[in-house]
Amino acid sequence: MTASTLVPPDAAPDSAGARPAESRRQRRKREQLEERDAAIPVELYGLKRGTVTVLTTCCVLFAIFTLVPIAWIIFNSTKTQANIFGTFGFWFARPFEFFHNFRMLFENVDDDGTYINWFGNTALYAVLGGVGATALSAFAGYGFARFEFRGSKVLFYIIIGSLLVPIGAITLPLYLVYSKAHLINSIWGMILPSLVAPVGVYLMRTYIRLSVPRELVDAARIDGASEIRIFFRVALPLMVPGLMTVLLLSVVGVWNNYFLPLIIFSNNNLFPLTVGMGLWSQHATTSGDQNLYPLIVMGGLVTIAPLIILFLILQRYWRGGLLLGSIAN
Amino acid sequence: MSAPAPTRPARDESRSRPRHSAWVRRRDRAGLAFVSPFLVAFGLFMIVPLGYAIYDSLFTSRIIGGTVFSGLSNYTQILTSGMFWSGVIRVVIFGAIQIPVMLIIAFFFATAFDLGVAKFGRAFRTIFFIPFAVPVVVSALMWGFLFEPSYGPFVHLASVFGFHNVDFLSNTLMLPSIIVIVIWEWTGYNMMILYTALKSVPREVVEAAILDDTPLWKIIVKVKLPLVRPAIVLLIFLNTIGALQLFVEPLILNNYSAGVITLNWTPVLYIYNTSINDAQYNLGAAMAVVLGLVIVAISFTSLLFRRSKGEFS
Amino acid sequence: MAAISLRGLTKVYATGVRALDGLDLEVFDGEFVVLVGPSGCGKTTALRMVAGLERITSGTVSFGDRVVNEVSPRHRDVAMVFQNYALYPHLSVYQNIGFALENKKVEKAERDQRIRIAAATLGLGDLLGRKPAQLSGGQRQRVAMGRAIVRSPAVFLMDEPLSNLDAKLRVQMRSEVLRVHKSIGAATLYVTHDQIEAMTMGDRVAVLQGGVLQQYDTPRALYDRPANVFVATFIGSPAMNLYEAGLSTDGTAPTVALGSQRLPLPPQVAARVAAYQGRKVIVGVRPEDLAVPVSGVSGGSGVPGGSGAVSGSGAVSASGVSGASGVSQAGASGGAQAGASGTPGLVADVRLVEVLGSEQHVYFWLDATPAASAPGAAAAAGESAQEGILAGSAPNGVARLDPGSGVRPGRRVTFAVNPARLYFFDPDTGRAISG
Repeated sequence: MTASTLVPPDAAPDSAGARPAESRRQRRKREQLEERDAAIPVELYGLKRGTVTVLTTCCVLFAIFTLVPIAWIIFNSTKTQANIFGTFGFWFARPFEFFHNFRMLFENVDDDGTYINWFGNTALYAVLGGVGATALSAFAGYGFARFEFRGSKVLFYIIIGSLLVPIGAITLPLYLVYSKAHLINSIWGMILPSLVAPVGVYLMRTYIRLSVPRELVDAARIDGASEIRIFFRVALPLMVPGLMTVLLLSVVGVWNNYFLPLIIFSNNNLFPLTVGMGLWSQHATTSGDQNLYPLIVMGGLVTIAPLIILFLILQRYWRGGLLLGSIAN
Repeated sequence: MSAPAPTRPARDESRSRPRHSAWVRRRDRAGLAFVSPFLVAFGLFMIVPLGYAIYDSLFTSRIIGGTVFSGLSNYTQILTSGMFWSGVIRVVIFGAIQIPVMLIIAFFFATAFDLGVAKFGRAFRTIFFIPFAVPVVVSALMWGFLFEPSYGPFVHLASVFGFHNVDFLSNTLMLPSIIVIVIWEWTGYNMMILYTALKSVPREVVEAAILDDTPLWKIIVKVKLPLVRPAIVLLIFLNTIGALQLFVEPLILNNYSAGVITLNWTPVLYIYNTSINDAQYNLGAAMAVVLGLVIVAISFTSLLFRRSKGEFS
Repeated sequence: MAAISLRGLTKVYATGVRALDGLDLEVFDGEFVVLVGPSGCGKTTALRMVAGLERITSGTVSFGDRVVNEVSPRHRDVAMVFQNYALYPHLSVYQNIGFALENKKVEKAERDQRIRIAAATLGLGDLLGRKPAQLSGGQRQRVAMGRAIVRSPAVFLMDEPLSNLDAKLRVQMRSEVLRVHKSIGAATLYVTHDQIEAMTMGDRVAVLQGGVLQQYDTPRALYDRPANVFVATFIGSPAMNLYEAGLSTDGTAPTVALGSQRLPLPPQVAARVAAYQGRKVIVGVRPEDLAVPVSGVSGGSGVPGGSGAVSGSGAVSASGVSGASGVSQAGASGGAQAGASGTPGLVADVRLVEVLGSEQHVYFWLDATPAASAPGAAAAAGESAQEGILAGSAPNGVARLDPGSGVRPGRRVTFAVNPARLYFFDPDTGRAISG
């Protein structure tokens, strides 16, 4: 139904997989060409002259719009406080303070907290929370996708419905519950709620339905494998692209989470980056003579850098997963 | 020629009734086992707090007398509270402007990339998606710097175009500025979802449309758009929920332009201030419940509205 | 002037895959031409290039005297039925059929009329309000056809439209398609992988393989005079039996030697293959050209004398070739003669008999080396026999016999063969030897 039916046939239909071994780059080039072959030639759309140029220009403009804040942050992470305010925002200025600012991140700034601490915290929460959320979503998604137990449909709708609940209705009372359970200022207070990702369950269920054939599971069952075994040996390898997507979403979600840690942490050492940066921002304006601004800018830069890199790495899985998540509505 | 009975195109997933043999029941229990870790966490960290919130909302704490059951008095207080509803109206206006604009931009680019009519599609898509990697706090910080009234580069830029002394973070311009910020943050994500949805439109249907000599605008609007409607509905849904809970951007921008953001500027801000700063948890909980109901109401009406209208804008 | 002319049509994909290589083809106005071949042979690619949906690497496509390489598919006045129907899922049948007319800004009244006529032609009158999801496969296929015919195109293209239907429906729809074709009268190019469809529907049939045209002729000609081994084994089911053989003379009589058996060749046949005298060839015999002689009495010779009736019916001795083994004695008598009428016979051991009711497929083994047939075509036919769980050497041939032939597995049988119906091919090129 999709482009796959019209992908050009292999040169020798009966030579079983006799493709010459190719390097990664060759394979990517080939995939690129196949993608181009599989797309409808542009001229068939009957475009007026210059449409392509106009559209490309629009893309460039929006790309500029997208990159402006990032560019700004890169340039200004190298400046002193005075220069941030004084000099042209989109170019460097002397003195070049990049490394100085970077080093400052490792120090406790006026008792307002140490950036590097926050970074470590964020990484911890994001990894544990993200991986945990992915695992739970994978299990639950599998349970919903390939089993029919009583109430599974209702349960699923409830889980999806929880997306409608405002964060305040959950997080604030959570704080009260924590105060009774001594979970205030505990890393588990941050990690455990992060394990709950309804979107992840939704995506995994969709993906598993599409990529783990029912017949395969049934065949394994007939062969006498236990359900756990089936999950890990049969289903899991097929779920990988979906897992990557959910992992990415979960990690990003926890990394960027602001409201939950804001509420439950009062101990500065436990802050993730989001809360810490928010605090700095607040202090920078209220008590104006702290040299916080360059740190805020540098901090912001270091905050976004790992995620962007993570994106680029997980990029190829990302596309496939999103696709399936959006169709199956 | 009698027509054969219509057949279902795809396998119907959830229709088979399990026979209640022991084997099947055991298998179903296994399903439950898979779902249970999530359910436990879900119950503990979503249901319990939510229930607690609802419970709490029925009480009031007084300085004298402690916490007493007050029934729905918190709710009546909120429902008549101008402060609360002005915040609600503000986010509704915010969403009503931001969401369509963003979706149109996202759809525009998604279509351009899907059709392949813009060069370097892959590179652009990656660039557009970068804001998704930026935490909202950092994005608000960055934009705060850019919009800053006294030294922000955008003020500079505006004066180049002839607008002098523009205060982007003033009372009048704060909301539009936040709209710009949110569009910056979320367009890439929306665009990616729309792009992959568009890619899943069967190629042959578009080819058939080409052979029927369908002009491009018609292909986009009458052939592709209806087929990606589920994705659009999903996005409207998600975006609405997010828009109504606007919180971080105003909170951070307040640091750059004190006084513009009031305590009740958005509902969630109001809830936050009421609960944390004023320590009126009960009232805050009630507000959260009311907000939740408002969100449900608006989400569903927007879905219904789209469905009956048939097409998007 | 041909309605469609393809000259040297070639398609090479960006990845280097050569999907079609130098196709030359002509379709006359009103003609129904079938492009047939195994998957990957380039037939769909050719069709799509005619439609304008694929870029042409080299060669030309012409409609009449107009080269249309650079003409957009929108303006070629071409209608196409896709394999998966490609209906607009969100539109009703009425709207699907009328979509092209809407684009052309046809007046509502006229549009309505044309839609209804097309629908009536295809028996869709009651379904106009339904959406594709509510239709069966066969109904969708008809809507796809309706969408195509309503435009009264000059050229009608069909890409395996019946492939997604179940077998029974497919047979039914074959005549439907032809009926519709007659009513439109446009030149039609029809792509399929099913040789039966090709043979039963086409005015002329083009057989493709590996991107190269093998033969372009009427069905009859393809059957009687296949141009090469591929066509010979592709057309006709079960596929033609092919063996390595040698041409020699038995004294003065030219013979073809299959394994240890010899078949004499009548003069006109011998003349045709004269150039290969003394050399190796590939010999082909169609399963339907093998017959089992009728015999009332089983006996030593087991061969009917003089009756000449060669189809088996009733109790027929399948055995009884003179000589203990099935191998004919070398020597003057050559192979077993099946009868005074002089029809030569081929001795074989029966391995498996498939009873189809109206006929039998008899899988046999004879001591000749089967020729390596073209990939794809004969492989499927030979597979079930080849990979049999049978003892002894696997069967290397199949015959189509009348149901009452009385042939049994494990027995030896002598097939009557008409040498005039033997096919000869060059063992190196696979081309038919035509003399």
